Amino acid sequence: MTSDSEGLQLAASAPGLSTPPTATVPAQSSGPVAVDGSAPDLAIQVRGLNAWYGERRAIRDVTMDVRANAITAIIGPSGSGKSTLIRCLDRMHEVVPGARSSGQVTYQGVDIFDPDVEPAAVRRTIGMVFQQPNPFPTMSIYDNVAAPARFNGLVKGRKDQDALVERCLRQAALWDEVKDKLGHGGTSLSGGQQQRLCIARSLAMEPKVLLMDEPCSALDPVATLQVEQLMTELKSEYTIVIVTHNMQQASRVSDRTAFLNMGEDRAGYLVEEGPTAQIFTHPRQQLTNDYISGRFG
Amino acid sequence: MFQTKRVTSREGAPSLGSFHRRRWTGDLTLRAGLAIVTLGISVVLAIMMVESFADASPVYEKFGILGFVTGTKWAPSFTIYGAWPFIYGTLLTSLIGLVIAVPISVLIALLLTELAPARLRAPFGIAVDLLAAVPSVVYGLWGLIVLVPAMRPFEQGVSATLGSVVPFLGPPTPGASYFAAGVILAIMIIPIISAVTREVFASTPRLQREAVLALGGTRWDVARTVTLPIGRAGLLAAVVLGLGRAVGETIAVTMVIGNSNNIGTSIFAPGFTLASVIANEFNEATETLHPEALIALGTVLLVLSVIVNAVAVAIRNRFTGGARSGF
Amino acid sequence: MASDASVVFGQTSLDRRFKERLFVALAVVALVLALIPLAAVFGYIFVNGIGSLLSIDFFLKDPPADLTAAGGGVRNALVGTFEMTGLATIIAVPVGLAVAVFAIEFGGGLARAARFLIDVLNGLPSIVVGIFVYASVVVTQGHFSGLAGALALAIVMLPVVTVSAEEILRLTPHPIAEGARALGLSRWRSILSVFMPIGLSGIVTGVLLGISRAIGETAPLLFTTLGNNFFTPDLNQPMQALPLLIYRDALNSAYQTARDRAFGAALLLVLIVFGLNLLGRWLTTRRRLAGSSR
Repeated sequence: MTSDSEGLQLAASAPGLSTPPTATVPAQSSGPVAVDGSAPDLAIQVRGLNAWYGERRAIRDVTMDVRANAITAIIGPSGSGKSTLIRCLDRMHEVVPGARSSGQVTYQGVDIFDPDVEPAAVRRTIGMVFQQPNPFPTMSIYDNVAAPARFNGLVKGRKDQDALVERCLRQAALWDEVKDKLGHGGTSLSGGQQQRLCIARSLAMEPKVLLMDEPCSALDPVATLQVEQLMTELKSEYTIVIVTHNMQQASRVSDRTAFLNMGEDRAGYLVEEGPTAQIFTHPRQQLTNDYISGRFG
Repeated sequence: MFQTKRVTSREGAPSLGSFHRRRWTGDLTLRAGLAIVTLGISVVLAIMMVESFADASPVYEKFGILGFVTGTKWAPSFTIYGAWPFIYGTLLTSLIGLVIAVPISVLIALLLTELAPARLRAPFGIAVDLLAAVPSVVYGLWGLIVLVPAMRPFEQGVSATLGSVVPFLGPPTPGASYFAAGVILAIMIIPIISAVTREVFASTPRLQREAVLALGGTRWDVARTVTLPIGRAGLLAAVVLGLGRAVGETIAVTMVIGNSNNIGTSIFAPGFTLASVIANEFNEATETLHPEALIALGTVLLVLSVIVNAVAVAIRNRFTGGARSGF
Repeated sequence: MASDASVVFGQTSLDRRFKERLFVALAVVALVLALIPLAAVFGYIFVNGIGSLLSIDFFLKDPPADLTAAGGGVRNALVGTFEMTGLATIIAVPVGLAVAVFAIEFGGGLARAARFLIDVLNGLPSIVVGIFVYASVVVTQGHFSGLAGALALAIVMLPVVTVSAEEILRLTPHPIAEGARALGLSRWRSILSVFMPIGLSGIVTGVLLGISRAIGETAPLLFTTLGNNFFTPDLNQPMQALPLLIYRDALNSAYQTARDRAFGAALLLVLIVFGLNLLGRWLTTRRRLAGSSR
């Protein structure tokens, strides 16, 4: 249980920062709240999260909240631990051999790292889309969406599957383009279409949260735009967290932004977090200002 | 002594022009020397192969190639020779060996790539190498003295209960049989099939595996959605490689197969394989054309194993985009 | 928290959890099944053979004239194995290295033909190799001999040595190769003084593996050296070898004396083979740990 006052100090405790916060911060802004689910518009609460790859610490003491039905962007230079952070949120970090983490990540009051919680179950609730589109090469477009749902026991029978495939492809704004070639291989599509297929596939799990790790960095500008528009449409139903190294994208698309930086110990830490407009126009930290204006990173 | 600096490809493109330059440097001597050795060994190997076919030719003349290969009777005292019982035995024992070895090898490979990485890899690698290094005659000795007597009650039991219902499982059950040979073969080919399959599965793209996990899949889901489908071709290559080894295995098979010229109708019956009959009869082959017939069997074995290995190489090349060094 | 957890995240269905557990269980069973023969074979051989190995006579005496009698040893087989394998190594290693170097450095049609023949050889049953040597050497000479046996073993070893030498040489880092050329080193100099030393431990490993394979082979020896119940160091005579002795004694295994001798010889053979393999492996790991040098 953390108290309200503690959270506001988080930015100051970041190593490497020589100047204390300059402006006074209104108490009701982006500080974290108590971990008892008492703020119902919160989806995920991260408390004191650390992550290592073997001996090397990748992120240090990250504490932040993710608001429901909003798009939260995580930005920062290379090596600041953005991908590591987002992968911790659905327990994908531990999949890498030798990787471990400590700290709490709570979803609706339940710590996802609790021993009673199945990782697979967490990942069905908190879905992920990767940087490189990865549709299953041995399956058709139809099966890419239907098969995982089938395995998870979410659908049975042809009719239910047909309905699911159509619904998810529509949600991913892909239906019109592929409805006549559902039997074609998953990899026969363009990069942007493949990524939207992966999004559709994740949506088939009926997650509540969608994590996206640099979803557009492998796509051309047209496809990028399509995916960004999709994200904006989806946020009414889902909570979205997106890692991006593209600041323009973050400012276009997200409601809130978290800025991570690599500290002197080469571990990433959270510099500040807040409403996107505020972060990009009046950041509280000098470092944030420097990064936004391109002085480093 | 200075030489003109030449940047030559390491891929062995011959340096054109060295013959035109009349430079009697060490390079030329080296190349000539190596070429002579290479030529020499190629000629020696070629001659040996030709000699063998030549020695076998009287038998092929007498029965015709097809007649010999499909002939079902092997009776040296009557100068009747047919290869089919032994081809049958080779195929049957190899099949039994594969049926036992492949599922086990696939499971082992999956275990090591999906379920228990890093820690187990090194000890398993060593265990596999050692298993593969045990000489055939030692497996045969153990098989003869330990395995066969131990399997007899099992064979009798199966034969008594299922023999009347399922074909190929009936009597006789003397212990030494196609089945015993198949079991020994399985033991001997598991190391190579699982080692190759493990490499195939380990090269499954991480992105695909993570995709399944991120969708809430279990490790079994990863195996059946991604690892097995993508690794299909590599697995096939591994199986064919194991088949090649099984086809040529001689001594261990000889010691447990029971040595019979008949075409057994039960897997528990005794029999012969191409390799094992040659080993068994060669040094006592005094009848007319007997040695030649055995050499002819050797040529059949040669052709069979060349075909199997060529198929293995072809599969590997087609799906990995390049030859790898032989196993 | 458990009930909270399953309310919030849902649970994987019983059916799928069962399948997952079954999968893991089957995989572990498979591994155990595969390792049992290693333990069983080695264990049984060890237990039954160690007695013979502990007596020095085993190494110094020949088998008794009456195969079913007790006593004696395997000296003739030891000497025979040593001589034939040694000769085979002396023949196979230079030839294999020569072909490997020729193929990599110079290439061309001849190299490709030779490599093709050697690849064919690689997958060939060793009994067929025995037939080759029988048809060309034994028949010509008119008698069996240790020499023919050594030739057969050399042919068995050749692909192993060639393939691993080629692999090692191919892996020589490109910068080193270019560096040698840029220094103006002639081809033979760079091969002898640069590439070979770098690849030496790898080549030695390949040789060890070849020896390990040849030492255990029985089939190629059956109709080339035939075997001999008596002692002779003369390569022109039929010679005994460890695998042959084991084979013959196994066929007489109704007699306990033959059985004991067979197990003793088998244990000895297995220990030698394991030793060679582990040595080769150790060399390889040492090479890797030594850093950038291959």
